[in-house]
Amino acid sequence: MADVLSPLARMGHATHCKRCLTGLPASQVDTDPFKMALVFYCLGTLDLMGQIPAGIKDSEKESWREWIWAQQASGPGGTGFRPGPLMNTHTERDDTYHESSENAPQMIMTYTALLSLAILRDDFSRLDRPGLISFLKACQNEDGSFSSEPYGGDADLRTTYCAFAICSMLGDWTGVHVDQALAFIASCRTYEGGYGQTPFSEASGMHSFPGGPAYCAVASIFLAGQGKQLSESDRLRTLRWLIINQEPSGGFRGRTCKGADACYSFWCGASISILEAKGLVSELPIVSYIASCQFKFGGIAKSPGDHPDPYHTYLSLAASALYPLPETLGAATWLLPALDPLLNATRDTAEWARRYIGVEN
Amino acid sequence: MANVQNQSVFYAERPEWEDVIPLPQYESVKPLAPIFYTPEYKDATDYFRGIVRMGEKSPRVLDLTENIIRQNPAHYSAWQYRYKTLMALGVPLEEELRLMDELAVKYLKTYQVWHHRRLLVQQTRNPAPELAFIAGCLQEDAKNYHTWSYRQWLLAHFNDEALWANELDFVDGMLDIDVRNNSAWHHRFFVVFQSGVRKGEEDRSEVLHRELTYVKMKISVVPNNMSAWNYLRGILDHSKTPYSTLASFVAPYCEAEPTRPDDSSKDIVDLEDPFPSQDAHLPCAAAIEFMADVHESLGGDNLKVATELWSSLASTHDAFRKKYWEYRIREAQSRAH
Repeated sequence: MADVLSPLARMGHATHCKRCLTGLPASQVDTDPFKMALVFYCLGTLDLMGQIPAGIKDSEKESWREWIWAQQASGPGGTGFRPGPLMNTHTERDDTYHESSENAPQMIMTYTALLSLAILRDDFSRLDRPGLISFLKACQNEDGSFSSEPYGGDADLRTTYCAFAICSMLGDWTGVHVDQALAFIASCRTYEGGYGQTPFSEASGMHSFPGGPAYCAVASIFLAGQGKQLSESDRLRTLRWLIINQEPSGGFRGRTCKGADACYSFWCGASISILEAKGLVSELPIVSYIASCQFKFGGIAKSPGDHPDPYHTYLSLAASALYPLPETLGAATWLLPALDPLLNATRDTAEWARRYIGVEN
Repeated sequence: MANVQNQSVFYAERPEWEDVIPLPQYESVKPLAPIFYTPEYKDATDYFRGIVRMGEKSPRVLDLTENIIRQNPAHYSAWQYRYKTLMALGVPLEEELRLMDELAVKYLKTYQVWHHRRLLVQQTRNPAPELAFIAGCLQEDAKNYHTWSYRQWLLAHFNDEALWANELDFVDGMLDIDVRNNSAWHHRFFVVFQSGVRKGEEDRSEVLHRELTYVKMKISVVPNNMSAWNYLRGILDHSKTPYSTLASFVAPYCEAEPTRPDDSSKDIVDLEDPFPSQDAHLPCAAAIEFMADVHESLGGDNLKVATELWSSLASTHDAFRKKYWEYRIREAQSRAH
């Protein structure tokens, strides 16, 4: 752990994300199929840096909102959001899709689109709520899991979490079978106390968004208000797994005996917070590790000396927001808005999402 | 695919693609986070959108989607459409699998590569050669999550007696290379305890004994290995075996300089309670934690011993997690009262 905590390079991180929103080099073409998630990391960073109300022009925010709404698409599998325009053409209506479409909306993109719009304080008057509920219904499989798209695609704890987060924002759970989904979550538990992305898989830590399956599992259970479903011994075993996976550097590992990665500071740190055990870890090592992952020209990397990206930048900042340093440390630059660990957004944004996305609107 | 070298890299310049109308990506609003595509990528995806619009599923679609995948292996629409085309053409899938052998190693960390492979093997229903292929991939990246998940899926999905036959030897080989490979330990748990009872393994107490012997030997060689301790805890929890039954094995690992039982027996390994190796770094924090759990479970006066062990972790052997060990002390005491 560094003796002196380096300051949070707020402008550098905001600029790193603003630059990505302006455009990305060809080498980042692999982000194209998940662009909405990338937009969310960038907007989430700007939200945590306090840039949304003051630092961004209204006209710019307006054009960002328009772009996100342009990805809402309706079809026989309900209404959701696409990752971006990668399959859009001028020859057909871009806001619809059909059953054998290569351009269907996607679960994780829908969750990140809704949160992104909430960050931008959209009024959600354009949201097709009944269509969204149908989308959730169409994605759920017999084993309780959710496919990423209404007609297939991968199904793991990430999509379960996103489906539950959407239900929570809607304040409506009529589109999903909660009990079956909880049974699927339970089937992903491993002997270590963590969770695998799918049944039989190792407790992890997969490097994706939303990442840590333990986070996806624990957050889903609590989003559904079913925290009591977790027995005391299961809760303790999960807690132990989370805490044992913190390295003396302050960073967290995604899996037993692997190296630390800044994104797990959030996935593990938020899980500990949801399990109401924040007092069992120290804030300073968590923040020190993140401070050491800052890239000198802005952005935060997975580990010290690596190259930054919006994914690690946002999740590192979100983790820091969950573990505020005591005032006595005088680390004023690290003062961040309070974060809602269940929805993974600032508390203000989460409140906005629940108020304006809710079905009673 | 064979004479690709002789052709222009651009589909727009290839005569055999003349009949396809390329469809550029269209944005009705100002783009957000636009990617500055290379001309080659833009050209290929323009033709891909054109093909999808026409609904064409022909051999040239395989060439086009392979081209896109090589430029962007995460392009899941290209993967999806490629699979649909393979199904529509009804071509033998062995050739596709050989191509995937190359792409899987190249794009090991891309989910789509593994998802596509699953779909193919469900069609060919020939899982046996896959085990060797997976083993090869794990030579490249011994902890790749997708690769291990694929192996677990393959075994569980086909659930063929012959497939399972050498899994324990396989795990053993992986752990010989790296005893801290948690993916291998997890796989062992999956094979032994999570995937049904196979022939020769009906006597579960015998199986448990075998696994205890195995993990104890691994711990004795490298005690500071949380993967092995977690495996030990896992099989005890799973079989509802009290931790206290392991107390005599764990005890020497809790001491800085344990007294070796008897010099004359130095060369004979005690299979029940193997002693820490000569160069082991002791005491081992995971052993102290385990021993504290033993004493907590016994309750009564043993709680005092548990508290001392947790205190030693908090103050000395794992001071980084001080708050957690102090929490364990508080919890145990509050339960006792």
